[in-house]
Amino acid sequence: MANTTVRGALAIHGQNPQYLVETVIRNRIYEDPYWKEHCFALTAETLIDKAIELKAIGGVYGNNKPTEFMCLLLKLLQIQPEKEILLEYLQAEEFKYLRALAVMYIRMTFRAVEVYEILEPLLKDFRKIRYRNSGGYHLTFMDEFVDQLLRDERVCDIILPRLTKRDVLEDNGEIGPRKSRLLDAMEGKEEEGSERGRSRSRSPDRSPSR
Amino acid sequence: KEAEVPDVDDTDGLDPEGEFEAWRLRELARIKRDKEEAVARELEREEIERRRALPEEQRLKEDLEHAEKTRQDKPKGQQK
Repeated sequence: MANTTVRGALAIHGQNPQYLVETVIRNRIYEDPYWKEHCFALTAETLIDKAIELKAIGGVYGNNKPTEFMCLLLKLLQIQPEKEILLEYLQAEEFKYLRALAVMYIRMTFRAVEVYEILEPLLKDFRKIRYRNSGGYHLTFMDEFVDQLLRDERVCDIILPRLTKRDVLEDNGEIGPRKSRLLDAMEGKEEEGSERGRSRSRSPDRSPSR
Repeated sequence: KEAEVPDVDDTDGLDPEGEFEAWRLRELARIKRDKEEAVARELEREEIERRRALPEEQRLKEDLEHAEKTRQDKPKGQQK
């Protein structure tokens, strides 16, 4: 029972959201002590405390042991919090691993246009994060992680759902060209005000880079 | 057993300028990569349009030349 998806969950990409984590890893998670001891009966609120304690992102390590990050990701898929809650997770500026978790979840479950709109502003978050895999811990950065999520098929040892390519969405007029704060700054355009106005649909971005 | 401490330091703000500079380089690399991909896509589109405009026999000639060229470039087998 503890491993069933919440009742009334919407199918994501046409299937049970938990199946987005492939079977082998999912079964490993169900057997993992961290899952059993710490993830049991978590809600969208209590999950925050666990996510804050995360020390690294990553998929599996050692003998295919899932990371705590992976366990919490599956938990999110299982309880399927509302979109607003996910966006709140992103806002919590000081907890980077909570943000990383939310970013990963959003990439896996949201529509392509939303993924680009929500994730791209985070490309300017250059904080360090630990990445754990079988080789131990590595240092990476939030912007690199987000960039991987937007481009790669496989991140943190799981296959991500297919994401429509950015140029296709641009050709269909569903999304504007990507804006980079750096490029704007280099071209000397100090149009902070107008950018605020245009990016109203995005999550308000507060970042140390400003 | 779970008490192992990660050996990588993820503290931010130890070297704000260096961290920003590193990000700037990463961001520039991303912008450059995206630009190059856009250019490549554009080139491909132009090539397709050019070939569509060509008459059939000329296109066939081009294809045969291309096929001949790739055949030449292929390393010869070293059967002994």
